[in-house]
Amino acid sequence: MNAHSIAGILAFNLFLLVVGVAVLYGLRGWESWGELLRLSGFAYMLGVAGLGVIFVIELVVGVDLSLATILATGACLFALAAGVGRLLGRRLPWVKAVSGHLSPTAAIFGALAVVYSEALFRSGRLAGLYEFDGWAFWVPKAKAIYFFGGLDRQFFEQLPGPSYPPLVPALEAAAFRFMGSPDVVTLHVQFWFFLIGFLTAVVGLLAPRVPSLLLWPPILLLLAAPHVLGYALQAQGDFLLDELVALAALLVALWLVEQRPWQLAGAAVFIGAAMSTKREGYMLASCVAAAAFLASWHHARILWPRLLLACAAAVALTVPWRVFLVVRDLSRGGAEAGGVGLFAHADRAWPSFRLAVSSVFDYHIWLIVAPLLLLAIAAAASTGAWRLSGYALFLFVLAIVAFTWVTWAFPSLPITKNAALNPIVRLTGSLAFAATALIPLLLGAAWRRGQEMQ
Amino acid sequence: MRAGAHGHPRKWLASGLLVISCLVAALSVGAVHYVHALSQLGDTASSNSSLSFEDREIAGGNSIVVDQRAAYEARALIPATDAYRVAVGPNLREKTELTEGYVASWFTYFLMPRRPADDAQWVICYGCDRSTLRGTFETRWQDRKGISIGRVR
Repeated sequence: MNAHSIAGILAFNLFLLVVGVAVLYGLRGWESWGELLRLSGFAYMLGVAGLGVIFVIELVVGVDLSLATILATGACLFALAAGVGRLLGRRLPWVKAVSGHLSPTAAIFGALAVVYSEALFRSGRLAGLYEFDGWAFWVPKAKAIYFFGGLDRQFFEQLPGPSYPPLVPALEAAAFRFMGSPDVVTLHVQFWFFLIGFLTAVVGLLAPRVPSLLLWPPILLLLAAPHVLGYALQAQGDFLLDELVALAALLVALWLVEQRPWQLAGAAVFIGAAMSTKREGYMLASCVAAAAFLASWHHARILWPRLLLACAAAVALTVPWRVFLVVRDLSRGGAEAGGVGLFAHADRAWPSFRLAVSSVFDYHIWLIVAPLLLLAIAAAASTGAWRLSGYALFLFVLAIVAFTWVTWAFPSLPITKNAALNPIVRLTGSLAFAATALIPLLLGAAWRRGQEMQ
Repeated sequence: MRAGAHGHPRKWLASGLLVISCLVAALSVGAVHYVHALSQLGDTASSNSSLSFEDREIAGGNSIVVDQRAAYEARALIPATDAYRVAVGPNLREKTELTEGYVASWFTYFLMPRRPADDAQWVICYGCDRSTLRGTFETRWQDRKGISIGRVR
């Protein structure tokens, strides 16, 4: 809770950014320094996802997550990504000046976002660890990694949620290393960085594709949503999962329209990280992948092999953790009523569906994010942007089905939005975040195509 | 005149109306809630900064541990490399509805790197029946609420 901790966490996030910039160079490169500045949020999130996945693999194979290991891992990933970039013939821009144009609209909305960010930072800066899941297992796991180096057998078997992959605890432990102590109060600032990284990534990716007036309002709407205000900085995995899934969903959407390889590669990294964050990551990743397959049905011969390759790469990143669960004979985290068990609890199907839909559309949780997504899908569809609107619609429907399944397949969960009893509200965050990233893209496509029709 | 100018006027109008509806809805709802959000975040920041160091550090444990001093005394008395156990019993004079169910798991979080162990010599006794502790309990600290910390010999 002191300046030393703040300086440490700032250094850690700069470290994530630097590594992420190298990953961006390997994946895509940039044509100007202004473009790198615009994509810095995307680069930061690539650093979070890339390093997070590698930390999990290192922990699984028994590498202690000391400060030296963390720095060496970052250096190796930096060198590898930079090497790949050079091999692919990427060059750094010659012009040293950062050039860029900021419209008055973008400046106004950007200023509003900065004011919000500052208020959010202050609200989390001195927050205590109140959340049950936070002190019951997310932060104890991070402390265990910090104190004992690796996946301590006692704590990782006895704490609740042994099947949860340790990406968030590993990143929290790394933040503790940079802070010099397990400062659980300042740890909330780490989740502020994740949220700001996500927002700047979405803005950076969409800014050249969508007019500012269509880009910013959905983003500010999400920021003002009651659930974000109340829970965004909790030291748990839920919001990072939402952010990773949403970025993957956005990159897949961009890839469906533009088919640039870096978009699919980036999506694979984020999907892999999402699946290493929480068990629900597998389910949400399946929704994104299935929506992409369905939306690209008419070009299956060309697009599906690439999609399959990306899916295989993302799944490969999670294999070490699954092997670890088997080797240590830990719970795999399957559904209570998996398979035919669903039919034995058929009476829960309709209430589970109603709960999922009412949570997604609950004004007091997500304001009007879901109705806005449906309107945006209709707008894009009305101009013939079928692939994009179809993808967004499939994603929406599949997510609702997945949320329904969660309550249905776990009969011990009561039919309620009470977060202490049922995770449905936390789950719907992934769709709300993905919607916020997709709405501007859909509106932008509708607006552009509408103007072409005119 | 561009091709398609007469072919899609209705579609163009429909999509334009949908886009503008989205924009108006997002801006109006967002504007109202943005102001509220800043106010709420400011209130949270004020509330957090007005907490004492202990209230902030114990945080979720404040509704469980009954006595903050018990947590700090446990951390001071039990060496970082030693194990401990939390024993809960009927002699607790003050408790919350969460104390009995969650005090052990909260201490697991708070006292790390100390490890919880069923046969540990260090005991954090929450109104426990000392005759069940398998040895002589040497009290090192206690309060008037029925909480004590000590070693079993």
